[in-house]
Amino acid sequence: MSALLELENLHAGYGPTAVLHGVSLEVPEGGVVALLGANGAGKTTTLRAITGGVRWSGDIRFDGQSLRRMSTEAIVRRGIAHVPEGRGICTELTVDENLQLGSHLRRDRAEVSRDYDRVFEYFPVLKERRRLSASTLSGGEQQMLALARALLMKPRLMLLDEPSLGLAPIVVRSIFKIIQSINEASRVAVLLVEQNARIALDLSSAAYVLEVGRVAVHGDSAELQGNDSVRRSYLGY
Amino acid sequence: MQEFFQQLVTGIATGGIFASLALALVLIYNAMGLVNFAQGEMAMLATFVAYALINRGVSYWIVFPVTLVLAFGGGILIQRIVIRPVERAPILTLVIITLGLAALLNGLAGFVFGYVPRSFPSPFPAQSADLFGVFVSYRDLGVIAVSGLVLLAVYVLLQHTKVGLTMRAAAHHPEASRLLGVHVSWMLALGWGLASAVGAVSGMMVAPILLLEPNMMQSIIIYAFAAAVLGGIESPLGAVVGGFIVGVTVNLAGAYLPFVGGDLQLAVGLAIIVAVLILKPNGLFGRARVRRV
Repeated sequence: MSALLELENLHAGYGPTAVLHGVSLEVPEGGVVALLGANGAGKTTTLRAITGGVRWSGDIRFDGQSLRRMSTEAIVRRGIAHVPEGRGICTELTVDENLQLGSHLRRDRAEVSRDYDRVFEYFPVLKERRRLSASTLSGGEQQMLALARALLMKPRLMLLDEPSLGLAPIVVRSIFKIIQSINEASRVAVLLVEQNARIALDLSSAAYVLEVGRVAVHGDSAELQGNDSVRRSYLGY
Repeated sequence: MQEFFQQLVTGIATGGIFASLALALVLIYNAMGLVNFAQGEMAMLATFVAYALINRGVSYWIVFPVTLVLAFGGGILIQRIVIRPVERAPILTLVIITLGLAALLNGLAGFVFGYVPRSFPSPFPAQSADLFGVFVSYRDLGVIAVSGLVLLAVYVLLQHTKVGLTMRAAAHHPEASRLLGVHVSWMLALGWGLASAVGAVSGMMVAPILLLEPNMMQSIIIYAFAAAVLGGIESPLGAVVGGFIVGVTVNLAGAYLPFVGGDLQLAVGLAIIVAVLILKPNGLFGRARVRRV
């Protein structure tokens, strides 16, 4: 079986500073893969490389096709929704306008309106606040808006950069539950970057642990969770 | 009273002209945080194009939309050729480039058309209409109607169309927009095109009043700066409201303050800029910029 997303010996960095030193990983079609590691390990840079936000060498293939020299817009249009660090909410716009930006490239109107219904089922609070400025939302609500918007892009792969960041534990749990139902209901593959290793391993089927720009450990999420030495040395719990 | 109302209507008409040019400034400011000092000269050049067409016997109401389309295309060309290669340059570099562009367009117009002021036709009759006992000129009413329609069209485009939505998103949140598949660079070009077309309206509306020559917009751009700053340089609505306020203020000051008269009207515009920047730097509709660190 060939993977939906394949990173092969990926090197990337900012100007003269190299951040990734040969990262290889795979996300299978419809699978959930966690990308873990400490601050500065290169998790966010990996996601940014996939959507063309940093210069890279090596290879990134999506659906068998290399993303080399493709613009961010072109990559995204192939079916990758990237919820970036800080969520990328357009705070100058209303909640509804943010959602429209998610679906603005789609032509399948009937299905778009079904997806809106589905999104509002997951996140009823967004329906209540449709007309309000996105800047009035709380952190958790903004994360919901970012997920909803990504879902409306009808992606084949979602890149989620620390969806738990800055949120209360109870909100984190409900958001991860929704990520799980999204993955199960629409078979969207997910590459999940997290600091919160425990909750990420619960959700994912496979995981990679980055350490200063290299994959230190990878494998089955349940196995990593059960391995005490891995847990203690890399995951910190 | 009669005279006051006439001055008021004339002020609103002038305000519509300022509002159009101020809106053009705000569109570009929003897209790239840059005050386009060449906006007035772009409008002047578009008006010269209209003049050349009218001189060839084309009817005014055909020339008007054709000029808007040409100005739109010209704005996009300028963004692609002049601005895009230096998009990431420091802001001061960009400011100098727009100043250079202004000088270039001014010289170009002078080279092609000369510096002799030319009369530019107004499509509206020179008579006055009797509005409940107040006589106001059809020209003023016409300018108010045209600029009102243009401002309304821009509003509808930005607020109620998909393109408008992606333009606003690209202007305020380029990184996030790119991740949503928005062609940010093209949206910026579209912003330049739109600004150029809106500016061209102000040029064509002011030319019958001031006479057309390469330096025609140099005072108008000051008023437009005043209007944009008064409205809060980031707010399209603010620019429009600011335009009308500046138009009315300048006109009434010219009519009723003997020491202002016709000569010091420009000083009133400059005084508005200085006063706003000292007393309320974010303008009427602007928001204080908060940066979290």
